[in-house]
Amino acid sequence: MNWFSIRYLLLGSALGLGGCVESYTPDVPAATQNYLVVDGFINSQGSTVVKLSRTLGLAATGSAPAEAKATVYIQDNAGTHYPLTESPAGTYASAVQTLPPTRQYQLHIITSKGKEYLSDLVAVKTTPPIDNIEWRLEQDGVQLYVDAHDASNNTRYYRWDYTETWEFTSAYNSSVEFKNIAGGPPAPAGAKYIVPRTENIYNCWRTEISTAIKQTSTTKLAQDVVTDFPLLFLPLPNERLGSKYSILVRQNAQSQAEYDYWEALRKNTENIGTINDPLPSQLTGNVHSLSDATEPVLGYVSAHSVVEKRIFIDRGEFPQGRLVYSDALNNACQLIEVPKDLSIPEVPTIIIDNALNVFRQPNILPIAITFGSGNSVIYTASTPECVDCRLRGTNVKPSFWP
Amino acid sequence: MANFYRIILLLGLLGGRLVSHGQQGPPATISGNFQQLPFAEFARQVAATTPYRFYFNPTEVDSVRVTLQATAQPLNVVLRQVLQATPLQFAIDAEHHVYITTGVPIDTQLPADFFQVPAAEAPTPPSPALARRAGVGSPAASKVYEIGQAQPSSSGKATLSGRVRDAKSGEPVVGASVYIESPNIGASTDQFGSYTLTLPVGRHQLFVRGLGLKNTTRLLAVQGNGKLDLDVEEDITPLKEVVIEAEKDRNVTSLQMGVQKLDIKTIKQVPTVFGEADILRVILTLPGVKSVGEGNTGMSVRGGGTDQNLVLFNDATIYNPAHLFGFFSAFNPDMLKSVELYKSTVPARYGGRLSSVLDIATREGNRKQLSASGGIGLLTSRLTLEGPLAKGKGSFLVGGRTSYSDWLLKQLPSKSLSSSAASFYDLSAHISYDFSDRNSLYATGYYSRDRFRLATDTVYAYSNVAGSLKWKHVITNKLYGVLTGTFSRYQYSLASERNPTTASQLGYNLNQGGLQADFTYFLNSKHTIDFGVSSLLYQIAPGRLTPLGENSLVVPDALSTERALESALYVADRFDISPRFSVAAGLRYSLYNALGPRDVLTYQPGVSRSEGTVTGSTSYGSGQVMATYQGPEYRLSGKYAVSDNSSVKLSFNRMRQYIHQLTNTTVVSPTDSWKLSDTYIRPQVGDQVSLGYYRNFKANTIETSVEGYYKVMHDFLDYKGGATLLLNHHLETDVVNAQGKAYGVELLVRKSTGKLNGWLSYTYSRSLVQVSTGTDVINNGAYYPSNFDKPHDVTLVSNYRFSRRFSVSANFNYSTGRPITLPLAKYTLNNAVRVYYSDRNAYRVPDYYRMDLAFNIEGNHKVQKLAHSSWTVAVYNLTGRHNPYSVYFQSQNGQIKGYQLSIFAQPIPTVTYNFRF
Repeated sequence: MNWFSIRYLLLGSALGLGGCVESYTPDVPAATQNYLVVDGFINSQGSTVVKLSRTLGLAATGSAPAEAKATVYIQDNAGTHYPLTESPAGTYASAVQTLPPTRQYQLHIITSKGKEYLSDLVAVKTTPPIDNIEWRLEQDGVQLYVDAHDASNNTRYYRWDYTETWEFTSAYNSSVEFKNIAGGPPAPAGAKYIVPRTENIYNCWRTEISTAIKQTSTTKLAQDVVTDFPLLFLPLPNERLGSKYSILVRQNAQSQAEYDYWEALRKNTENIGTINDPLPSQLTGNVHSLSDATEPVLGYVSAHSVVEKRIFIDRGEFPQGRLVYSDALNNACQLIEVPKDLSIPEVPTIIIDNALNVFRQPNILPIAITFGSGNSVIYTASTPECVDCRLRGTNVKPSFWP
Repeated sequence: MANFYRIILLLGLLGGRLVSHGQQGPPATISGNFQQLPFAEFARQVAATTPYRFYFNPTEVDSVRVTLQATAQPLNVVLRQVLQATPLQFAIDAEHHVYITTGVPIDTQLPADFFQVPAAEAPTPPSPALARRAGVGSPAASKVYEIGQAQPSSSGKATLSGRVRDAKSGEPVVGASVYIESPNIGASTDQFGSYTLTLPVGRHQLFVRGLGLKNTTRLLAVQGNGKLDLDVEEDITPLKEVVIEAEKDRNVTSLQMGVQKLDIKTIKQVPTVFGEADILRVILTLPGVKSVGEGNTGMSVRGGGTDQNLVLFNDATIYNPAHLFGFFSAFNPDMLKSVELYKSTVPARYGGRLSSVLDIATREGNRKQLSASGGIGLLTSRLTLEGPLAKGKGSFLVGGRTSYSDWLLKQLPSKSLSSSAASFYDLSAHISYDFSDRNSLYATGYYSRDRFRLATDTVYAYSNVAGSLKWKHVITNKLYGVLTGTFSRYQYSLASERNPTTASQLGYNLNQGGLQADFTYFLNSKHTIDFGVSSLLYQIAPGRLTPLGENSLVVPDALSTERALESALYVADRFDISPRFSVAAGLRYSLYNALGPRDVLTYQPGVSRSEGTVTGSTSYGSGQVMATYQGPEYRLSGKYAVSDNSSVKLSFNRMRQYIHQLTNTTVVSPTDSWKLSDTYIRPQVGDQVSLGYYRNFKANTIETSVEGYYKVMHDFLDYKGGATLLLNHHLETDVVNAQGKAYGVELLVRKSTGKLNGWLSYTYSRSLVQVSTGTDVINNGAYYPSNFDKPHDVTLVSNYRFSRRFSVSANFNYSTGRPITLPLAKYTLNNAVRVYYSDRNAYRVPDYYRMDLAFNIEGNHKVQKLAHSSWTVAVYNLTGRHNPYSVYFQSQNGQIKGYQLSIFAQPIPTVTYNFRF
């Protein structure tokens, strides 16, 4: 918590006195420049992956345009080149390799238009292992902590990113689907029918990659020890904790310069431009254009290894009676009942009736055939986001999932 | 009352003219037969036959006809008979002078103590001077005060000095104008109420004028050097808050420029957001003074930084004059008398800050009786007690103020807010004591403390301590000196206990002790010389990190103590070359020594200082001088009176500043610390030249001025990107020296008297910064707008008094939006959208516009009343304008969206109750 938070506390109370927040659109000419963005680092023990893209106007939607067909390679201070190949467009990867840790490295980029860019030479930092990832149930949620240490006191600057994966279900488990039965008699060609569902679209896994910059330094401590660094907080109840949750934490050792770069980037992005905050830095990084020294190039290319550690949190690990799981989207789902027209004879395993017209609409999926009031037969149905979990994840079980 | 003045007139103009000459002899009786005789003729006949001599105004007696028969009757019997049907009265003195007056008989005998001359009277004993402390009320006005002893060899001029005091409370009256009209010679009283005039020998009428004072006159017969203390009555107002302002024509006649003086009455009229009178917020309405943000008392004077203002509380420096994040100023308004802001001509007596000196003076306590006053507002309450000491030879004044914002926070619905705490209080005390007419002692103490905690996390606390002790000694009539000792302390701490491994406390402590001697010498009517010497000793513990609890792994860390001595000598002469043309020349020479013990790192020359360019270190022993900076500071000003009510002034000023505030936010925050100049951090130096034209209208009731200035500032601190300011053992690697320039024009129209009073000002000003050292460059080394650059500013502060009990105040403020660094483009890095920013301060936030209204309602004005009270009902931001307090950007669905936060976006009503008994 810092001074800014204090001010926001005050602002919070001031809002009670009549403050307000409203939209502000500065009168800024559309940024005509589009600068090169270099996103990645030189992995000293593995594959180096670098994404090249361009900057976008603030109001633009969509993802940043990729910088394709560039020539990219790592070079060390002994003159050795380690090439990167492009796949897909804008993403360049090297072979899995181990770089000699005593050398210094830099990234060399030649764009398809022939402009050359070079990052500064940097030394390799070797990342120590993650000691522990721990979670604790706190009053309002689950706090995840990470511990690490370097007995040789060399690391000092740590940065983490992580990938979260969790298993979830859609609101309704659909046992039937509305489908074209290819060649199945006696259905007319091109018709669709309600048939038993063969693919599970009820159980899925969702994966999210961290966006926050999480880093710390131990320079103020007598030993190079990180204890209980608060990596992530999951407020309860949480959609992630329906059955099983997993987090893969990647630990990166950094130089002080890289730490400073990320710290400045964090300040620039996480408190974007509050007028009373520290002035945002005109932050670029350590990549430079060889043809135009004044051209801004964004990104910091460091060289280090990465260590990973994964933990799982099972819903059963929480105390009884604690409200752990809640899925706002599923909670909003409603079941629709569609009467089945029994006047039309049934074909074995294939059902044809007027209700099928309902299912020709794209925004409704059948769930099951069941009995309604007065022993009438009905279809239950709902919207796709309540039935098809693949809209929020994948139904392919990840390889690491137990 | 009026009759007394008429008598004076009568005596002065007509006295003796109608005296009849009679024979010498024993007291005679009246005999004769008078029929319808005009009174004048009657007097002539009586005078012809008796020793009596008549004095009267012929116009008052011309209707009186005397018809009587008398045989050897005493005159008093006869006159009683003659005048019984008229309003005329008579009086007969021992010399057989008969005075005829209307209404009230003249007192022919002097009061019993008339000839008792106070012990420390005129400088030439034994003095026959008739002067004495003039009594309360008008009889004093009718008296002729003889000043001094005739000196045959004298140059025809004499020096008159003395003090002006409030007749009711005995407090000195500051800034009152004491003058004679022919020739036009005047002076204003200083902070002790003292004045000195050099007058031609002869008879004069002396006037004392001041805002909130009854106009007071004295008749003088000046024969030689002497002393005259004056008790003046305040103009009738229900509360004792009216204190004196500068003389009306000070705007035109004074030599100073860029000086604004506000009395507490003006300050209390201005509506504020939480209903409490706030001096700093009123100062912010003056031309050339800009706020750094709504709800913040940090100020920029003429484009300077927030650390370039010297805030003096009875001469003791206050380092953080704000409470509760800057929403309140740290001074109890009931304690204050006046506030004076010097923004261009800074007297040579002051130094140490580049942009301005804010001189805050407390009142003196009531010397006549015990009284109390206070106020109850929405967030704070205050109480002040005052009374006489040692039978009116001295007085005390004690005030306290506290907030109940803790209580308010607990009422808020948000959990993180209700579990937070924010509280503050301040205490101040002032004692004055006159040992004799020549020796007075003044002591002031001040303490303020703030503490706040957010939810369960860090606890912040800071406090100011300040004290001053002054001894004023009148050496001769023409020379007096003040010896002042001051002490200031500012400290803050932040403690975090959330994580046992990193639980720690960070403390900062600044101590400043000072000693100064100031003398004023009235050489003659053309020269007034001020001179003095001062010395300040600083000791700063710039940061100490200590672990909290057994499990804390935090390594204790302490930055080495900074010590320095700042000394100065000054002499200034005000030279009145002619009644129209005068100049003031001051020279201050300041010397600064940074003192050990300390290990100073050395760096490779010619490259940016960083940890990577350290070459070694030099060790300095305790008290050893590490770095010395010194230089002259010129203070020149000149005034030429174009006419009686207009003048042109020119001034040049140089200031040097040896202590710097470290802050990387633009608002003032409690973790801002102060850093002394050292081997690498050079003192700031600023030069300012200004030119002004001043003109008063309507008998000095409306003053107008135009002032232009240009100033350059060298070596103030700016920061490298990502600078670490806390616990930095080598701060020189994180700061850069910036250069600045500022210029502007300020227009002011001010009306200080009458039913409608207030001021209207317009300012055009620019403030630009350049960072272009060999290694560190911002915006390619070009000048860019500073955070305080708001070119256009219009301020109206007004008060209209409908009656003695009801007045309305209105404020209006417009200014250009402050500069901002805007995001220009976005890009994706490490899976998140990032922002690319413009050049520093290349854009501006929307303009600022606000209007406030306040109604002041006084209780009835009965003198005999337990408590006098008043209510203030105010509405802040009447139009509910959404002024941006903050502009920020957030990433939403892949788009970067801008938001503006307005903290007072609706009209905010407040009610305050003030009392005094």
